[in-house]
Parts: sequence; C-alpha cells; structure tokens
Amino acid sequence: MKERAIGEPSMALDKKAIALAIVALIIGLVAGYGVAVMMGGAPLATTAAPEKKVYNIGFTLPLSGELSSIGKIWEKVVQLAMEDLNREVKACGLNVEFRAVILDDGTSEEKALQNIQSFAQQGIKVVIGPAASAQVKAVKAYADSNKIVIISPSSTAPTLAIPGDYIFRTVGSDAGQAKVLATLARQEGAKKVVVFHRNDEYGVAFADFFERYFKEMGGAAIKLPYQTGLSDYASEVAALASRVQSEGADAVVLIAFDTDGANILSHAAESAVLSSVRWFVSEGPHGAEELLSSTVGRFASKVRLFGTRPLFIANPLYEDFKKRMVQRFGIEPGVFSENLYDSVKLAGWAILRAGTYDGEAIRAALIEVAKTYYGPSGWTIFDSAGDKAQQDYGVWAIVPGGPKGYQFKDVGLYERGSIVFLEQAYP
Amino acid sequence: MIGFDVVGFMISWLTLFGIYAILSLTLNLESGTAGITNFGKVLFYGIGAYASATLTTYMVLMLNGVDVGETPPYDIRGIILLGELGNRNPLLNISLLTLSLIMAFALAGLVGYLLTYPILRVGPAFVGFTLLSAGELLRIFLQHYEPVGASKGLMAIPTPFGWIVEGRVRELAYLGLVMGLVALTYVVVHRLVNSPLGRTLRAIRDDEIAALCLGKHVPRTKATILFIGSGFAGVAGVLLAYYLTSVNPNMFVPLVTFNVWAMIILGGIGNLRGSLLGAAIITFVDRALTFVTPQLGVAVISPDYLRWVVVGLLIVVVLLVNPKGLLPERPIKTPALDEIAKELRDGPK
Amino acid sequence: MQQALMNTIQYALFYLVFSIPLTLSYRTTKVINFAHANFITYGAYVAIFLHGIAGLDLMLVAAVVAFMVTGSMAVLNNLLVFAPLQRRGSSQAIVMISSMGLWIAYKYLLYMITDMAHYCTSKNFVSYGRITYSDVPRSVVGGVSFGQALVASLIATTIIMALLYLLLEKTKIGRAMRAVADNPSLAEISGVPRSLVVNLAWFICGGIVGVGGVVWTSFSGAITPEAGDSMILQVFTVGFIGGLVSLLRTGIGAILIAAIENVGIAMLNAYFGVPVSFRPFLTFATLIVTLIAFPPLGAGGGLPYRFLRRRGGK
Repeated sequence: MKERAIGEPSMALDKKAIALAIVALIIGLVAGYGVAVMMGGAPLATTAAPEKKVYNIGFTLPLSGELSSIGKIWEKVVQLAMEDLNREVKACGLNVEFRAVILDDGTSEEKALQNIQSFAQQGIKVVIGPAASAQVKAVKAYADSNKIVIISPSSTAPTLAIPGDYIFRTVGSDAGQAKVLATLARQEGAKKVVVFHRNDEYGVAFADFFERYFKEMGGAAIKLPYQTGLSDYASEVAALASRVQSEGADAVVLIAFDTDGANILSHAAESAVLSSVRWFVSEGPHGAEELLSSTVGRFASKVRLFGTRPLFIANPLYEDFKKRMVQRFGIEPGVFSENLYDSVKLAGWAILRAGTYDGEAIRAALIEVAKTYYGPSGWTIFDSAGDKAQQDYGVWAIVPGGPKGYQFKDVGLYERGSIVFLEQAYP
Repeated sequence: MIGFDVVGFMISWLTLFGIYAILSLTLNLESGTAGITNFGKVLFYGIGAYASATLTTYMVLMLNGVDVGETPPYDIRGIILLGELGNRNPLLNISLLTLSLIMAFALAGLVGYLLTYPILRVGPAFVGFTLLSAGELLRIFLQHYEPVGASKGLMAIPTPFGWIVEGRVRELAYLGLVMGLVALTYVVVHRLVNSPLGRTLRAIRDDEIAALCLGKHVPRTKATILFIGSGFAGVAGVLLAYYLTSVNPNMFVPLVTFNVWAMIILGGIGNLRGSLLGAAIITFVDRALTFVTPQLGVAVISPDYLRWVVVGLLIVVVLLVNPKGLLPERPIKTPALDEIAKELRDGPK
Repeated sequence: MQQALMNTIQYALFYLVFSIPLTLSYRTTKVINFAHANFITYGAYVAIFLHGIAGLDLMLVAAVVAFMVTGSMAVLNNLLVFAPLQRRGSSQAIVMISSMGLWIAYKYLLYMITDMAHYCTSKNFVSYGRITYSDVPRSVVGGVSFGQALVASLIATTIIMALLYLLLEKTKIGRAMRAVADNPSLAEISGVPRSLVVNLAWFICGGIVGVGGVVWTSFSGAITPEAGDSMILQVFTVGFIGGLVSLLRTGIGAILIAAIENVGIAMLNAYFGVPVSFRPFLTFATLIVTLIAFPPLGAGGGLPYRFLRRRGGK
C-alpha cells in the first residue's frame, strides 16, 4: 500500500469505481427491496374495500442454534395458527387481518434482545417468543420498560414467575414438572441420580427444584452442570460417566435442549457405564429429529428412557391439532407446539379486545381473554405471575416406528401424585 | 405496511454506527497504520463491556444497601431490583458512567500493553492468531467466572440516562454521548496518525526491520499504539453494554472482530474517514436487512445469513478488486508537509 | 477414565486428519487459510445431505464425494482469490484476511443451503443427528467396544497418512510439492510447474479434510454448520505447535492437544473440580505458552531482535 505522491491524480479511478459500484449495487438491492415492499404493501391494503386493519404480531423463533429442530416445527405451527386466527376473525365479521413478522434469534440471548428491540423500533407491541428461559430473562427489562407484551410458549424456569410484568407464559413453570420428573424417577426405582443439566436459567432452576423434590421423596441427587452452546459434548459425557461410576448412581436425569440433548445421548450410547443406568429426560429435547437417529433410538430402548413434558390430558382439541399438523405439513408437532398455537390465538384476540394497539391495554385484555379460552393446550388462564395456571404433565418415550424409524410417543401421564402408564413403551 | 419508524431506525443505526466507528478507527490505527494485525479486537471490546457492566450493576445494588452475596446482579431477583433501583438517582448513573469509561479505558489499555510482549515474540505471521486466542481465553474465562454471571451474563444494566422518562429523549441523549466519544476518538487517532509518530507507524508497517535499523524503538511504539487502541476499544465496549443493557460472553466472539475488519477493508485501510464510511455502510446494511426482510412473512432464507454472506464476500471482493478500499490512504498531514506542498506549488523561495 | 482415554485416541485421530493438511497447505502455498474450517463442515454436510435427502448411508461413497467437493472448493479458493492476491504481491496478512472473508461467506452460504433444503424436504439440516453407516463395522476388542467412529477414523487416518507419506516421499509429484514448499522460485526455474503443484496441493489438502468431516458425522451427536468452527482453533493450535512447517511436530501436537483436552481436563475435573467445559481454555493457554516459549522459526516467525536480557542466539 504505497502512498500517493502529493498532488498526483488518482490512477485507480476505474478500480475505485468498480468497488463503489458493487457497494452501491448491494445497497440499492436492499433499499429497492425495501421500497418495493413498502409500496407493494400499501395498495394491497387499500384495494380491500373498506379499510382493512392490519395488526402485526412479532415472532422471535429459534430457527438456528440449540433449539433449531423444534423451532423449525414451530414455524409451521405459527403458519397454521395465523391462518386459523385470520379465518376466525373474518367469520366473526371483523375486517381485520393479522400478520406475522418472524425473526430468527438463534437460541441466543443477545439476538433475542436485538429482535425485541427491532420489533420495538418497528412499532410492534406484541411479541411471541422467545423460547428459552435465558432469553426471556434477557428481554424482560427491555419489554417491561417499553411496554411490549411478551408471550413465551416454552419458557418454564420457575425463577421467572414474577407478577406484574409484561411477560406471559402459556406453559406451566418447571416447579410442577420437576415434581413429576422426580416422581417418575422414584417410581421407576431410582435411588441415587446424577442430574446432568444445562448451565443456564432453565437448567439450573429445574435441577434445583428436582433435587429438592427428589430428596423429599427419599432419594439423593447430585448436580452436574454442563456448559451450553458447545458443538460437541464428548468430554462432558466422559466426565458424566466417571461421575456416575464414582457415585454409584443408578440413573441419570438429563435436562437439555435439542442439539445438546441429541449430542449427549449419542455419546452416552458409546459408554458402557452410561448404557447400564436408567435415563430420565426433561421436555427440552422432545420433538427434535436428531433424537430419532438409530443410535439414540437403540440407546433409548436399552436404558428404557422416559421423559416428561407439559400436556393437557385427554384434550380432543390437541388430538385434532396433531392430526391437522400431520395432514398439512407432514410433521408431528413437538413439545410446546400447542402452547405456541394458543399464544397466537390469545395474542390476536387480546389485540382485538384491547381496541387499541397499545401495550398496556393489550396486556390487560390478554389476561381477560385467557380466562375464557380453551385450546389445544387446554385452559389458558394465567396465574398471578402471568404463567399458565393449570398444567398437566405426560410421559414420553422413543419407540421404533414412524417414517424415520423411531418416533416420540406419549406413554403415560401424571395423575394425583403418581405416574400412570397407558401403554408399555419398552418390552 | 406498518408505520415505519424512520426516526427510530436512524437513531438505532447511528448509535450502532458510533460504537463500531470507534472500533474501526482504533483497528485502522493498529492494523492499517501500524501494521499490527489485530484479530483480537473483541478482547478489549469485551473487557470494556464487562468492566462497566460489573461496576454498574454491583455498585447500584451495593449503594442501595442490597447484599450482593445473597442477591447477585445475575440472579433474577437481582435483575428485578436493578430494574427498580437503577433509575432513581441520576447523579449515581452519570458518575458510574464516567467511572466506567475511565476504568474500561485503563483496563483494556493495560491488557493491550501487556499483550505487546507476546506479540513481539511470536513474529508477524502469528500476531493475529495470538490475539485471537487471547480473546477466546477471556471469553472462556468469563463463561466460568460466577461473579460476572458465568455463561448467563449480566442483565438489566442501569443506563446512564435511564432516569429520563421520555423514551425518545433518552435514546437521543445516548446517541449524543456516543457521537461525542466518536469525535474524541477521531481527534486522538487523527492527531496520532498525522504526526511524525504516524510516519514511524507506517514505516514499521511497511518494513519493520528497516525501521529498526533507522533507530525507531519498535517495541515501545507498538506498545503505545496497542495501549491507546485497546483503551478506546474498551470505551466502545462500555457504550455497547449500556446500549444493550446486557452482556454475555457469547457476544464477544471472533466474528465481531472480523466484522470490524470488513469495515476497515471496505472503507480503506489507512484512511480514517474510510473506516467511518465502512462502519456506516455495514451497520446500515445490517439494520436495513433486519427491518425489511421480516416484513416478507415466513422467509425461506433467514436475512441474517444473507447479511453475513455479503460481509464475507465484501471482504474478498474489495481485497481483490481494490485493496485500497473506497477511500485510499492519504499522505500524512503534518505542518512539515504543508510547508513542502506550499513550496512545491509556489516554487522555491 | 477409560472413556477419556478412548476420547483422546478419537480426537487425536481427528486432529491428525485436520491439521496435517493445514500444515502441508501452508508449507506449500504460504497461505494461512481460515476457510479450512469450511472444509470440515462442508465434508460433514456432504455426508448429511447424501444421508438426509438421498438416504445414502455408505461412508465410502460419502468420503469420495466429500473429497471431490472440498478439494474443488480449495482449488477454487486458490484460483479465484489466493493466487491473484499473491501474484499482486499482497502481504501474507492480506491473504489471511481474504481467507477470513471466504470463511464467513462459505459458512453462511451453508446455512442458506440448509434452510433451502429444509424448505424442500421439511427436515431440519441446521442441526443433524449422528449418522450410522451401514458399511462401517463396530467391533469389540478385548472387552473394549470400538464404535463406528473409532473404527472409521482408524482406517481413514491410517490410509490417508500412508498415502500422504508415499506421495511426498516416493513420487515425483510429491518431491515437486516439497520443492515448491522449500523454495518456490528455484523450483520454478528447475522446471516444476509451480501453479499446477500448488493447485494439486490445495486439492489434496482440502479433500483430506473433507473426508475427516465425513468421519466426524459418525462421531458427533449433532452436527451444525458451526461444526468446523468449533474445531478450527484447536486445529490451528496443533498446526502452530508444529510451527506450520514440520509435519512430525504437527502429529505430536495433535496427540498432545487431544490428551490435554480429554485426559487432562478429566483429571483436573476429578481432582480439582474444574468444570469440563474449561477445556478450550487449556488448549489456548497451551498455544500461547508454546508460541511464546518456542517462537516459530522460518515461517514468518522469529525476531530480528530479542529482549535485551538474553545474550545473542535465537
């Protein structure tokens, strides 16, 4: 990079021009696209006679990162839910349309916060998501101070059950699920377990509650957190194996998401120690395709793996929802799909009931709407902390069958303090 | 189409631009002018951000009588308390801001200064990688260090202007702060580059051995430059922490450094105004994509991916077509130069 | 502990397959190539797409295809980017930065491809489970079970190292490569077709790494487009321990780093309670210590001056 002599005219004019042209092209493309969309959007709205009101609902979904598998399923659920919502609203005679504005948050906290900030700048007051409790924690302060209603369909950390804020969760907190998981483990004969959990808001809170309940039931639990966001967990699993061996544990309780869960289970399948103890899993990895590989499937049968997940017992709307998802998209709805579906409906009706597109009004309306709404996830009434007041839990297993060779199956439920198995998962 | 908040977009873009402008200016100083291939910019950025985050959250809690042993700021109860207590005392917020800026500058600058030793030892080919590894070392350390929130990070950081009730005014005040610091950085870097020291830096960049032969004390010069460059990067980190109101170790990955590199390559290595231009363009494209693409509904391809492909290709294309970037490097303007130019124009006296 | 030892062997094999080509490519072409990470990832994804879209689960086929794909990528990089830059006389730093640009572009291009594949098949490719191959045996030797990944990597690594050794030592082309590596101008004058040799070196190195990526799919529990990135810094560490010139030292480095990462951290975890995820910290610390204690000579390393305390000598 030599200096130009003083006063000498630029020789690289054409090269500079090319570079400028490229940059201008990129900017032009982006700007042009933006203008086109803006232009394209307006006439559509006015050709519909008389003025159709369009409301935007923001979505921050984990389309990449550790919850990407379930995130991709949720994208389809959102599509289905928005269509249903618009259809119902039209059938009621209202000239209103709801539009989804979807952003990927990569299952990361800072991206979730950035997405909420972008939504705020675009004037969107209702956002569905984010998925992970750690992400909800990250956006809470911003949402509260900017009066944006956040509805998370899957955040379950009990530590985030805080009254009077703008965070609503259409799923019950893990305080309940930890008890169910502890009951399951105890009932299946586990006395000493190693809790292998994510070292984030969700994992730590779940593990704490699990330990507490398991101790009450007379068992012993040892917690072993693992760092999230790694691309491979071979050494972590090795450490788990040596811990299980040294403690003489008879079961492992895994609290994970999709990518890390599948990774851990695949490596555990290679370990003789870990293949000879029972495994109990939280709801995180449910629905994720990676767990249906033959390695994990075989492992699940070998260790008789059971997991728990939120579920509304004997709900015909859920069965209907499941059928429609398979019919329409060819995919089974994974965990929290029904909670997401109901979040969308609740958001839409709350906006309508509020009358104005204002955060505070929508928040008040949401609480009211939820009191009388019954959907695939059951009754959606909120408790004082803005979480789902009534939540049942079911038990799932990974069994052979289905288009991928293995599939998730709900095999039992939690009823009145104990686990009732409806069918035998593993021979 | 929803009401497109142009003012909001501009404020958000300009604030982000300001933060990255400081990073680009300092990177241009270190790598473009002094030839220290700094692939570890994010290290100093992270140090500054974490310094201010830790200081602010702990101080606000402690000065309000909260026992941080029991309710640390990364705990959810701590976060709620921060939300309530954070905006009560304007004087506290402003003084914490000032304290953070100074502390971040000092800490980041010191680390930069200390890293000069390993850099000098490993030789020019591995400088970049050594700094990159140092950055990763810090990140992994932060992920495990409980008092700063480990992998959960710190959140609900009370902002310096949080006591302003009106949201827009708050954002504008912050933008003013950022722009002020950008101006300060620009002036400092400009003065450094356009001086005999600047000439020395370019000499070191172009041929280190020759510079040594001419008696320039290369180690000390590099150390000084790294100190200043890293210090200001730390300041940028402080601004980031207050802007996002949360810090997390995963925010400080090598990709951030490469983003800044794209900015200076695009704008022109060695040209300070070029780094501003590069930062402006890339942050604009980033914000624009985030605003425009979700309007298209369920996208087949996430806009984020497109943005990064563009950034990567931009680096390659610019380097291939015109390595000087948009604004090529200009001669160093010192008073001596002005005199020579005048003499050339007017003829010898 | 047994698990940790098995992991050490496994990782050592992977690091060998990934880092020897890095050292070889640097030696022959003088380019520090960050896009190396993409070779790993693209190799893995060739296997994933073959498995997920075409239902193919033969590792041999996947390996061959991956070799072709990543090898061509490497050659393409060279033809379009590295060679023009080097012809123009750009400094090593500039070429390195351009490789960074390529790295970012390739990675997110792959993300885009996975999204498009998802749109077409509604399978999630952003995170893909472990692939069980039908042509790789599992075995039990002396009571220790050898999973598919271990068997595959043992076979693959042995074959690759043997072929590479034969190539470099016994064939004319190998000697030509070494000539270009040691002194490009002299080699050219002596009649070695320099650009052909360089491109060949890229093709081989890129291809080998791609094959390693395929084997990775049988080991890792879930593969994402970030798979290469997570390994790349460790691979570079191993390369730097070898000074980026010595293949033998690189090999030693691979085993050393694998041991530190698995056995070392297991011991620290067992006796001092250090969390296992601290593992990369050890790797980078080793890197920095190695670089500082033994500054690499030759390859752009070394100093024209030393700090005054020492008296002379390098």
